[in-house]
Amino acid sequence: MTPPAGTHRFPGTTLRRIAPLLFSEAFIVAVVDPTIADLQAEFAAAGDNRARQLRARWRGYAAFWRVTLAAPFAALAPAPAAPSEVDAPAAPRRTGNLGTIAVIVAVLAVNRVFLGISFIVLAAAVLCAIVIHLWYERHPSDTAAPRDRSWRSPQINFSNMEVPGNIGGLIFMVGSLLVVLLGLPSVLWFLLIGAAAGSFVAWRLATWHARHPKWGLPENRIVLR
Amino acid sequence: MSPAGFGPLPRKEQLILELLVENGPMYGLELVDRSAGALKRGTVYVTLGRMEAKGFVESSHEPLPAGGIGLPRRMYRPTALGERMLGAWNAFTRQLAMEVKS
Repeated sequence: MTPPAGTHRFPGTTLRRIAPLLFSEAFIVAVVDPTIADLQAEFAAAGDNRARQLRARWRGYAAFWRVTLAAPFAALAPAPAAPSEVDAPAAPRRTGNLGTIAVIVAVLAVNRVFLGISFIVLAAAVLCAIVIHLWYERHPSDTAAPRDRSWRSPQINFSNMEVPGNIGGLIFMVGSLLVVLLGLPSVLWFLLIGAAAGSFVAWRLATWHARHPKWGLPENRIVLR
Repeated sequence: MSPAGFGPLPRKEQLILELLVENGPMYGLELVDRSAGALKRGTVYVTLGRMEAKGFVESSHEPLPAGGIGLPRRMYRPTALGERMLGAWNAFTRQLAMEVKS
């Protein structure tokens, strides 16, 4: 494409320059470059018409920043799920329905004094569920729960709930913290310090395991017979 | 359960495959224009990138004219797998609708 006469700089040049600071290489190739290419193609097609040039810039820049906002939730999906994994959501859905009924019964059963805060907590939980659902709609190959988890009964123990290290797990964790905070605002500092300490321990563990990759492998374990 | 052991075909991916099968290879912006608002300019390439990773579409760069500058646009076309997936998905949804009605 050839830029219109009198144009000193082709639009999108700066965006392309800052893209590596914001996105991975794969995301740039698949998403960012075509978005900028559209902006440049529309700008070139506008010729010397200033109004059309302005419109092309506006639409192109808006698209780029929408891509930036969508990027954290838009990991490009891997290959389609294996047949055995397709049925996986059925059991969580049944559990989810039972959980929803339990929450509604609990809200209706609480004292009137706590009814207001109960609805606020319920609204936050619904919002969290909607966000996870929207994320799952966009990433049907991923789930917010680990696929190979061993059976546990977490009951009310948050530390026993396993989530994978992806955006779905992060949404679940942040949403759960928000729900607890709305119900029990007095534990704000406890949760904040706990989250900071937990993150620090996780970071130390990750770096330690990176330095000792063979630790914990079955052949290194001592088995008493 | 969905066709051929694949996960469900999301609405946007189905629409993109239908547009590409009906109209032949297209640029992302053409897909947005022909979708009557169903596809958005800011997210269409996320969907196309995901479909390319799944093997439903493939893309190639348009050749730049002599003296041209800027980034080349990408032209998308459906793969054989994408066309088969669309056909299987449409057959599956038709069958499902008939089962529900009967």
